Amino acid sequence: MMSQRFKNALVDTALVGSVVLLLLFFYAPILTLVAFSFTSSRVLTFPIDGFSLQWYGELIRKPDFFPAVINSATVAAVATIFATVLGTAGAIAWIRYQFRFQNLFRVVTFAPLLFPQLLLGVVMLLWFSVLGNWLNFSTGLVTVIIGHVVYITPFALVIVAVQVYGFDETLEDAARDAGASRWDVFREVTFPLLWPGIFSAAIFAFLLSWGNFYVSYSLSGTARTLPVFVYSGIAVGSSPIYPALATLNFVPALLLVGLAEFMRRRALKRQSSAQPTS
Amino acid sequence: MKSQPKRWNDPILVAAVAPLAIVMLVFFLIPLAMTVLLTFQTTQYYRLHWTWDLKIWTEIFSKPHYWTIMLRTVGMAVICVVISILIAFPTAYALTTRLKTYSAQIQILIIFAFLTDAVLKTFGWILVLDRQGVANWLLSYLGLGPEAMDILFTPTGTMIGMVYNLAVYPMFTIYLSLARIDRDLVLASYDAGASRIRTFFEVTLPLSRPGLYSGAVLVFVLSLGAFLEPKVLGGGTSPLASELIRQSFETRVNWPLGAALTIVLIAIGALTLALAAAFVFRRSPAAAGGQA
Repeated sequence: MMSQRFKNALVDTALVGSVVLLLLFFYAPILTLVAFSFTSSRVLTFPIDGFSLQWYGELIRKPDFFPAVINSATVAAVATIFATVLGTAGAIAWIRYQFRFQNLFRVVTFAPLLFPQLLLGVVMLLWFSVLGNWLNFSTGLVTVIIGHVVYITPFALVIVAVQVYGFDETLEDAARDAGASRWDVFREVTFPLLWPGIFSAAIFAFLLSWGNFYVSYSLSGTARTLPVFVYSGIAVGSSPIYPALATLNFVPALLLVGLAEFMRRRALKRQSSAQPTS
Repeated sequence: MKSQPKRWNDPILVAAVAPLAIVMLVFFLIPLAMTVLLTFQTTQYYRLHWTWDLKIWTEIFSKPHYWTIMLRTVGMAVICVVISILIAFPTAYALTTRLKTYSAQIQILIIFAFLTDAVLKTFGWILVLDRQGVANWLLSYLGLGPEAMDILFTPTGTMIGMVYNLAVYPMFTIYLSLARIDRDLVLASYDAGASRIRTFFEVTLPLSRPGLYSGAVLVFVLSLGAFLEPKVLGGGTSPLASELIRQSFETRVNWPLGAALTIVLIAIGALTLALAAAFVFRRSPAAAGGQA
């Protein structure tokens, strides 16, 4: 019979180990890409032959991926603005208000999150094609942006909703009692209190859009975003420029995630210091 | 947080609800209705022909080929759910009970991995699983046989990719429901003399059910549309429904067929959601509450 303490230690180790394994699993392809981006060989076999920066040089010499980067950045920027604004308004309506057809509103605004992205893309592609036949337009960056907004807004909504849920509405009452107008209350009280949630929703939205493949693949027509560019590239054959491109791609994402975390902590700190000590 | 009743003639309510509602109506609900409508059309010389015809549906229901692939897709989805939950539960549990101090940092790491470009990550898996990739190198380095594993371009490769891309969802739903559990209930169970294991199975596990079920349903529904994984990691050897849909649009240019296959897949997902909502979440009021 094992002693109780030994058994507990075993369980603890197993649980902590499971998290370590999970992180290894999640980072296996990411770290592999980073490692391969520094290879000096043209063939992608492990262990890599030697260290070199030649594939980064290759990227600069042959910048045919660059239009895709511009497209991705444009799509992500515009989609982020729309998704964040719509998501914030939606989150307030979800949590703060009660109204007729609220449940219907909740179901419809949440549904795209439960939709496999490919099917969402296909369904919208069909609609845009039919609409395009009637109104004489074809799919392109604008349809990609619309697709991203539909797909990403529910994520933004959920993130902001969490912030709205913890919202202390007596602060608004206090401002109103002090004579602030509706707009002042929103600008000076409501918005600053919701800002941490809105900000993380925006970062989340940007990264979701930036990395989105399925919706872009269906709706981009002849325009190409970065994931679509990489997909059509690796379909032809793997080359060490893709690991280099991937590594460059990770850097801004890492910075954004770090920034979001920094903002979240600062907001938490401010909140706890604003708490009256009783 | 109190919620305030609002009437539809309140401009503030309209401003909050209308824009999003209109976007979802025009670009989500109407397209969905449109897709259903398209399944009743026909094609002639690769051009859509507006009629009212059941041809596509009779074709779909009479060809077992489609159903073999649909069945395979559902089977893969079920396996993916089981593996994802088995991975997600212990880690979510560890994050709430053992690694509380580092929980925020670990979550950031997980979110970053989740948000990174799926195409690049899938390409990364090729480099890991390749015959001369990282995994095989590691295995031979550890002395586990010179025989190379051939995982790439098999259904196993597809499954690894699917679990990789979807396990995050149950991790967070389970984490959220575990974090909501009142610690006093667990302590009360200890006080009553229950062992750790018994407490886990009789208190913690039942209370985490909402997260467990919603995570499982989410993985199931989302894995029905897996496309990158079977294509890139599965090598197209055993195609899933997504490939069928892609072919009917791109290769065969048969929109009604593609639309009908899409609707079949959506129906499978919707049915699962409806069943989950009716049976699983209705059963206990606590579970229903966890679904906010």
